[in-house]
Amino acid sequence: MNSHKTQSDVLIIIPAYNESENIENIVDEIITGYPQYDYVVVNDGSSDNTAKILKNRGYNHINCPINLGIGGAIQTGYRYAREKEYKIAVQIDGDGQHDPAYIQDIITPIQNGEADYVIGSRFVTKEGFQSSAARRVGIRFLSGLITLLCFKRVKDVTSGFRAVNSFFINAFADNYPIDYPEPEAIMDAVMRRKRILELPVVMRERETGKSSINFKKSVYYMIKVTLDIIVCRISYGIRR
Amino acid sequence: MHTIIPQRLTIVLILAIIVYFTIILILLKDRKMNMKYSLLWLFTGVAMLVLVLKPDTIIYLKALIGVTDNMNFLFMILIAFLIMLVLSLTSIASRQANRITKLIQTQGLLEKRVRELEQKLDEE
Repeated sequence: MNSHKTQSDVLIIIPAYNESENIENIVDEIITGYPQYDYVVVNDGSSDNTAKILKNRGYNHINCPINLGIGGAIQTGYRYAREKEYKIAVQIDGDGQHDPAYIQDIITPIQNGEADYVIGSRFVTKEGFQSSAARRVGIRFLSGLITLLCFKRVKDVTSGFRAVNSFFINAFADNYPIDYPEPEAIMDAVMRRKRILELPVVMRERETGKSSINFKKSVYYMIKVTLDIIVCRISYGIRR
Repeated sequence: MHTIIPQRLTIVLILAIIVYFTIILILLKDRKMNMKYSLLWLFTGVAMLVLVLKPDTIIYLKALIGVTDNMNFLFMILIAFLIMLVLSLTSIASRQANRITKLIQTQGLLEKRVRELEQKLDEE
């Protein structure tokens, strides 16, 4: 346990739902390779032995008793970050897709006060795992929609590799989109007129396990997220 | 006098509405329904009562909207009410889902604190 260590300014939030096969790899990688950051694993009501692994390994973790979905799990992390007064929060997936080596890259603009919200993007330099062609079409569509609605170009709108400053820690602790939150969170940030930056990262293919979005769900995903973005735009338009 | 609803049906409908209000009252008394959520149901009951006791309102409202048939008009407002009720239920369910999410998160955060406190106690 790192109870005697002084607290870092940076908290890495790792949501984990049934990630018993991947979670040790990613957390060990962070503990050994990047001890300058604090981390917290949010076990989102996993039905496998994720909870047991977290406990036995003595990882810093939060157990949600019921599955909340990715949005609810991430928000738990933001609430923890606010409680502990972290200055920067980084969210990475619990499946090992995101390489912690890029954390420094995406938090640097926040540390320098140049950005409020940084997205680690696969599509800036087009290196590493690029996802399937069908998904890239979907991502491009959502990206185009956001550009159309608020004149902000973000290429990798579904990337779960992000860093935010204390403003967004606070905002997201209060209110974070549920279900498939990534594109809507960007929209939210744009509409708040904050500085959003997209930086290149290289993503790995999932080590084991399945992606949370299968083909069937992707139809629901596209419809739901499209409506989310439009509703978000309209409600901010009214508020202004 | 021209009657829209036959006398016998009027009596049956009034009895039905009395039963309806009684059920709501029992639910409220046993605290199986919150007053907050029963307001729409009570309002619906009052509207039904008005329509049964003063059927002329149907003719007036019908002309206002432009429906020609009495029964069609009744079905129309009935469906409108049902849609409203279902919408309000969806909104209630969503609000509750949000609240439950917050509770689960808080519980998770508290569990972590308790766990760490227990650990500290064990170490001492």
